Amino acid sequence: MVERAPVARSPIAPAPPTTIEYGWEISARSSDAELKITDCTPLAKVLVLAPMYGELARALGVPFGRAARDTHGTLVVGSGPGEWLLLAAPGTNQAVGKRVEVVQDEGLVSVFDATHGRALIRITGPRTPDLLAKVCAIDFADEVTPDGAAFRSSVAKLVTDVVRDDSGGARSYLLHCERSSGQYLFDALIDAGDEFGIEVDGFVDPGDRGV
Amino acid sequence: MILLPCPYCGPRNVSEFRYVGEVSERPDPNETGVEEWRTFLYTRNNPVGWTTETWFHSAGCRQHLIAERHTMTNEVRASRLPEAQLPEGQEERATGGNVAGDGGGAIY
Repeated sequence: MVERAPVARSPIAPAPPTTIEYGWEISARSSDAELKITDCTPLAKVLVLAPMYGELARALGVPFGRAARDTHGTLVVGSGPGEWLLLAAPGTNQAVGKRVEVVQDEGLVSVFDATHGRALIRITGPRTPDLLAKVCAIDFADEVTPDGAAFRSSVAKLVTDVVRDDSGGARSYLLHCERSSGQYLFDALIDAGDEFGIEVDGFVDPGDRGV
Repeated sequence: MILLPCPYCGPRNVSEFRYVGEVSERPDPNETGVEEWRTFLYTRNNPVGWTTETWFHSAGCRQHLIAERHTMTNEVRASRLPEAQLPEGQEERATGGNVAGDGGGAIY
């Protein structure tokens, strides 16, 4: 009997054709549409809870409502008061967690790997604000939510972390929610983006340029 | 639509919040009588006018906040964090900041 490595599966059914990369079953589809949606669930997702103004908060260097990349290319998201979401390349979840755990903080600190417990979706394209305006009450104008803005709100009536993370000059948003709601959110975004010509794109490891 | 100003997130649709109840002072359970305890647990003033309430921002920052709301017009004139949630050395955090601001948080 041939022994095979376990394959991780996203809660979002991959659009065919599928392939196995980074230990995950992902869509191998490639789209050059102006508005694209990608299941980025394979990215490492580490949640950190710590005092809002403690040593760890200073080390992470990102306040609530903002997102920025650290020197390792990890996207550090200030997702709540005293709450951070760290997004990194697939398979780096343990390394990311260890980097955080070594920071000494006087308050209560909790670091846990949520890679397989959450869903992560990226939408990219100039019409993304129009799409999101159909499912979320937040103003997506540059003056209110510029590149690097992060907030948690209701998206398609689902509690979702939204991160404005422009990619290569194109407007882009990351949407992070509970695993059990991932397929629903993905379908709701495709439904809302249908009139703008949204297409599913396969996941590609961002590699050296960071998440 | 009712907008509630969250001290952390700024004005948000009331559907993002869970109503907790009127703010009332909790009597000392070791010294209070049954009547007073029952009043604390179950009796509400429910005035026609301004009232001080606790809300929970369940679809946002997941923090409790205290808001002064007019029960007839649903106008909200102030909101703040409960004292127990204030960071050390900070006396009050009223609604402030901006998503686009350096300090994080939000008002629009």
